[in-house]
Amino acid sequence: MSVFSDIFFGGLFQGSLYAMMAVGLALVWTTIGVFNFSHGVFMMLGAYFAWQLVAFGLPVVIAFPLAVIVMAGAGWILQASVVRPLIGRPNIVLVVVITTLAAGSLIENGALTVWGPRSKQLPSLIEGNTTIAGVGVSLHQIAIIVITPLILAALWSFLNRTRLGLALRAVAQNEDASHLVGLNVTALYGLAFAIAASLAGLAGIFMGGYRFMNPSMGADPLLKALIVVVFGGISSISGPIFAAYLIGFFEAASNYYFGLYWTPALLFLVLIATLMVRPEGIFASRSRGLA
Amino acid sequence: MTLLNVAIPAAPGRVTWNREAIGFVAGFLLLALLPLVFGDSYSRHVLIMIFIYAVVASNWDLSLGYGGVFNFGHLALFGIGVYTYSLLAKLAGVDPWIALVAGGVIATLAAVLVTIPILRLKGIYIILVTFGFAQLVMQVIVSQSDLTGGTQGLVRVPGLYIFDHNMIRDGKIAYFYIALALLVLSTLFLRLFVRSRAGASIVALRDNEEYAISRGVSLVRQRMVTLAASAFFTGIAGAFYAAYQRNASIDVFGMSLATIILSMVLLGGTATIYGAIVASFVLTVFSEAMADFGAWRLMISALLIIVIMLVYPSGLVGMIRAAWTAVADRIKRPA
Amino acid sequence: MSESPILSVEAVTAGYGRVTVLHDITLEAGRFGNVGLFGPNGHGKTTLLRTISGLVAPKSGRVVFDGKDITGLSARAIVATGLIHVPQGNKLFPDLTIGDCMALGAYSPRARPHEAENREKVVKLFPKLAERWRQKVRTLSGGERQMVSIGTALMSHPRLLILDEPTLGLAPKIKDELCTAVMDISRGGVPLVVVEQDIEFLLELSRQLFLVDHGAVKTEIRPGESIEHSEIMAMYFGH
Repeated sequence: MSVFSDIFFGGLFQGSLYAMMAVGLALVWTTIGVFNFSHGVFMMLGAYFAWQLVAFGLPVVIAFPLAVIVMAGAGWILQASVVRPLIGRPNIVLVVVITTLAAGSLIENGALTVWGPRSKQLPSLIEGNTTIAGVGVSLHQIAIIVITPLILAALWSFLNRTRLGLALRAVAQNEDASHLVGLNVTALYGLAFAIAASLAGLAGIFMGGYRFMNPSMGADPLLKALIVVVFGGISSISGPIFAAYLIGFFEAASNYYFGLYWTPALLFLVLIATLMVRPEGIFASRSRGLA
Repeated sequence: MTLLNVAIPAAPGRVTWNREAIGFVAGFLLLALLPLVFGDSYSRHVLIMIFIYAVVASNWDLSLGYGGVFNFGHLALFGIGVYTYSLLAKLAGVDPWIALVAGGVIATLAAVLVTIPILRLKGIYIILVTFGFAQLVMQVIVSQSDLTGGTQGLVRVPGLYIFDHNMIRDGKIAYFYIALALLVLSTLFLRLFVRSRAGASIVALRDNEEYAISRGVSLVRQRMVTLAASAFFTGIAGAFYAAYQRNASIDVFGMSLATIILSMVLLGGTATIYGAIVASFVLTVFSEAMADFGAWRLMISALLIIVIMLVYPSGLVGMIRAAWTAVADRIKRPA
Repeated sequence: MSESPILSVEAVTAGYGRVTVLHDITLEAGRFGNVGLFGPNGHGKTTLLRTISGLVAPKSGRVVFDGKDITGLSARAIVATGLIHVPQGNKLFPDLTIGDCMALGAYSPRARPHEAENREKVVKLFPKLAERWRQKVRTLSGGERQMVSIGTALMSHPRLLILDEPTLGLAPKIKDELCTAVMDISRGGVPLVVVEQDIEFLLELSRQLFLVDHGAVKTEIRPGESIEHSEIMAMYFGH
C-alpha cells in the first residue's frame, strides 16, 4: 500500500509543478503561435526574485506574491523585446526559438552575475512534515498539491468567464478577426506572456522551497514542460494540465520500477511514439484555441 | 510548412560552376595559408574550433535552410559522433581513423532513424520530436555510465595519428590541416549536393510540397536523404572533436552549444552553406575576443544574436547583400 | 441622402510587401446611400476594404471617414470610430460560441453601452442564432457563420458597415435569407459598402456602383444612370 501512496503523492506533486509550467507554454503557443524557450529561465527568475525580496526582509506572504507580479512585468518586457518585433515575419517560429533561447542565455548569465553560482534556498510555504497513508510528506509539498489546482481553476475561469479572457481566446483563434472587433492584439500578446511568466515564476518559488536553486534550475523543468505540452497537445490548456499529472504519475511509477536513470529515456521514447501515432497530442482537439 | 520556410530561396546555378570553383579554391587556399600568419597554438586552436563549428553549422543549413526541416537534434548527431569515436577508440581499441569514419556512419544511421517519426509531421512538431530525440540520446548516454562515464564523461580518449608524427608537440599544425581537410570535403559535398538534381528537388519540396509531390518528388525519400546527408560530416566532426579534445562530455548535448551553432546558421543566412561557414568565423572570433569578460561574454553574445535577428532577418548574408546593393547603386548612378 | 460622402478614399496606394495591389485608387461613398463594389477576383477589392479598416497600412493616399482622417490608424482605433468591416469568408472564431462572438462584437467601449439593445436587434434579424447561442461556430453551417459574422459586426454598433462578399458560396435559399437581412440592416439606417459577385443583389441594394479593376476604379455608375445587367457583365468580361 505504501508503494502505491508513494507513487500517488510523488506523481501528484511532480504533476502540479509540470502543469504550472506547461500551461504557460501552451498559453503562449495558442495565442501567439510561438514557442518560448526562455520559459524555464522565467521559472528560475521567479525563484530568485522571491529570494531577493525575502533577503530584503519582506515576509513571505508579501515577498512571494510580489515576485509573481514582478514576473508578469518580466514576461511582458521579454515579449515586447524579442517576440513582438518579429510578428509577421514568414519564419517567425524559427526565429523566435533563437531569440528566446538567446534571451534565456542572457537572463541566466545575468542571474549568475547578480546572484552568483552558489545554491540558495527559499523558505517553505508551510514548515513541517506529516504522514498520510503511510507516506512521510512535507507540508510544503501538500500546499503545492492543493494550491496548484486552485490556481489552474482560477486561470480557467479567467479565460472562460471574463471579457478579457474571452479576448485572449479570440486572439488565439483568429488574429485578423480580433483586430476587426477592436481588440488590442499586441496588448493581449503581452498579457499572454505576462501570465505565462507569472505561472513559471510561481513554479520556481514552489521548487525553491524544497530544492536548492541555481541559475540553471529552469532547464530541466522546461524540458518536462515541453514533453507535457506535446503529450497533451499544444493547442489547448486543459490538455497539457491532464498530461502534466499523467506524466507526473508515469515518472513516479517509472522511478520506482525502472530506476531514476532510465525514467527520462523512457519518457522520451513514449513521447516519440505518441507523436508518431497522434501528432496533435493525446488530449488535443484539432484546432488551436484556449479552453 | 510555410512556418519554417526560410527567407532566402535557393537558386541553384545562380553563380556559374566555374566562378564558384575559383572562389572555392581561392578561399580554402587562403585558409590553408593561415598557419603562416598564426604561429601560436592558441590561434590555431581557435581556427580548429572554427572549422569544426563551420562543418556542423553548414550541414545543419542543409537540412534546415534547403530542406526546411528543423532538426533540433542536429547537435545530437554531433554528440553521437563524439561518443561513437570515444567508445570505439578507447574501449574497443579500434583504429582512430576507422573510428572517425564510424562516427559519421553511425550518425547517418541515427539520422535515418529519427527521420522515421517525423516523416508525417509538420512545423513545430518536427522541432519537438527532434528535440525529444536529442534528449533521448543524452539520457541513454548518461544512464549507461559504466561505459560512457555518465555525466562525468570520458577522458584520455585516443587522438588521431599520422605515421610517427608527434601530434601533440607540433603546434597543432597536423590537427589544423585535418580539420581544414574535413571542412573542405564537407563543403564540397554540400555544394555538390545542393546544386545537384537531388538538391533542387528538396528545395522544391520545401517551397511547394503539394506541387513537388505531384511532379513525382518523394517526400519520404527526400527528407530521409536530406537528413542523412546532413548527418555524415556532422558525425565525423563530432568524432574529430573528441579526438582533438581527447575527451567526451555530455556538454555537447546542452542548449548553449545548440544555440551557438544555430545562431551561426541563421546569422549566416540560411540556404547558402557558405553563410554558415562565414558566421562560424565571425561568431567564434567575436566570442574569443571577449574571453576576458567572463559571464559578460555569453551575455554580450546573446544580445548580439538577438539584435542581428531583429534587424537583419536574413542574417549576415542579408546584411552583406544590402550593403552590396547600396554600393552597386552608387556605382551605377555616378553623382 | 447626405450631402457629403461618409467615406472617401483619396489616391490610395497599398499592397503587401513589395507587391502593390491598389494603384492610386479614389472613390467617394455614401453620398447617394449604399455603395456596391464589383469586379474580377484578385484585382484589389478585398485589399481596398482591408486598407479602409486598418488591417493594411496604405503606402500613400488618404482615407477619410465622416470628416475624420483615419489613414494609418490601427484597426482598433478605426473600430472605435464606428466603421465596421465584416471580412470575407467565415473563418471567424471557430471555437467560440455564438454568444461569445456577440460579446466580443461589443468589446469596444463605444459599443458596450448599446450591448443589450444591439443583441436584441441581432436576435430579431437572425432568430436562428438565438436557438444556437451556446453552440460553437465551427459546428455551424456556412450561412449561419455568415450570420454570426454580420451579427458580431452589428454588436459593434456600426455607423458604416463594410461587407466583403456576404453571400459567397451559399445555397440559394440561405442566400435569399441573408440578402433580406442585409436589406433590413440598410433600412435600419446603417449605410453599407458591399463587395459582391451577385450583381442582381448589388443592383437591388445600392444606388452607386464601382467597378474595381487592376487596383483602381475603372467605372463609376451613379444613381439615375440606368444600367442593365448585361452591360455590367460586359464590363466584367469585355476588356
